[in-house]
Amino acid sequence: MGAKAIQSLKPIKRIHAHLCAFHFYAHDMNRQVEAHHYCTHYNQDMRQCLIYDSPEKNARLIGVEYIVSEKLFQGLPDEEKKLWHTHEYEVKGGILFMPGVPKVAENKELDEVAKTYGKVFHFWQYDRGDALPLGLPQLMMSFTEDGQLNPNLASSVEKRFGVSFKENAEGRKHITGPSMGIHPSSNPWLKGIGLKPELREVDLKEKL
Amino acid sequence: MGQHVCTWAIFSHDMSRKIETHHHVARLNEDFCQCAVYDSDESNARLIGVEYVISEKLFESLPDEEKQLWHSHFYEIKEGLWFNPGVPELVQQQELKSLAKTYGKFWCTWQFDRGDRLPLGPPALMMSPQQVEPGRIPDEMVKTRDAKYDISTSNRAVKRETSIEGPASFHPLSDRWMTTGKGWAVDLKEVPIALGGSTPLATLDAAQPHP
Repeated sequence: MGAKAIQSLKPIKRIHAHLCAFHFYAHDMNRQVEAHHYCTHYNQDMRQCLIYDSPEKNARLIGVEYIVSEKLFQGLPDEEKKLWHTHEYEVKGGILFMPGVPKVAENKELDEVAKTYGKVFHFWQYDRGDALPLGLPQLMMSFTEDGQLNPNLASSVEKRFGVSFKENAEGRKHITGPSMGIHPSSNPWLKGIGLKPELREVDLKEKL
Repeated sequence: MGQHVCTWAIFSHDMSRKIETHHHVARLNEDFCQCAVYDSDESNARLIGVEYVISEKLFESLPDEEKQLWHSHFYEIKEGLWFNPGVPELVQQQELKSLAKTYGKFWCTWQFDRGDRLPLGPPALMMSPQQVEPGRIPDEMVKTRDAKYDISTSNRAVKRETSIEGPASFHPLSDRWMTTGKGWAVDLKEVPIALGGSTPLATLDAAQPHP
């Protein structure tokens, strides 16, 4: 179509990676969803990702994730750090993977990802049956050890994508997480702290 | 596959803050579009949020509480603020006629306009340009945008006056600030996390000590 040829969609054209992983709601670990990330490098220290519920053509755009290097994360105010989560376990545990990408290339990319921190919001709670993106933006978190990811969800993804998380993990033993260790302000849920959105009405300024 | 739309959005909790936006619009079906929103159309653009666009029909079906988070699109389309860079107006007309009657819900995840070098805090709800303050887009912003694309928004508005119709009526619950003079902000509250059955609080490991 003529429009497609002329239009400049540079930010979309720069999507360089498809990552499949799992998120849970920052206030409720029982609600876990599959998350397909389509990522671009904003710069060498940050990726920005569109999150879809599947890799299909009619996939729902359900959220956004920002992925930053340890260096950028350290510079965040402490109050902000608690909105972020780590990726070390997802990578080393084998549950984060790149569909269709050969292992060598996949592990090279994930070696970097394992050292990063992420901040993700979902806008569409299709997992509770919403046919439309209702309600408030939901902060999401990710897993930190074996036994947290629902085994049924795990095997459903493994089957559909023809992968084995156990095999993935075997091949990633050499991968390390953040060089300074996982910052205690991230993954606040590990201390039992959930984060839930609330709406607040504000008076608009009289004049501008 | 996708449209590139350039328009403006306004922060619901502080309507003095107006930003130019670049939407990559993907239509899923005749009633629904989903958009990745950027702060420019350059290859180094920031991903600043997501907007959902729905037909009048779908909007009517929303619970009243939900409707208050949405905004209408007619004004910004008829005024030419909303346009598709590089696409002849005629080619876009059918789609615009449909979009003029839609409602949008836009969460902004990166408040770059206040100087944030990284996306900080919870997402902010956005509203759309409207006829009355504080919904208007300053002339200088429109002029700057027009110069960049070598276009005339005012000429476009004249063309659209006769060719684009709005919805039969505007729902009083959308663009809520116009009735209440109030905006919406989102806060993240600390609550006890609900854990999976196999992860009692007692067995949670503390995070690694930070050197």
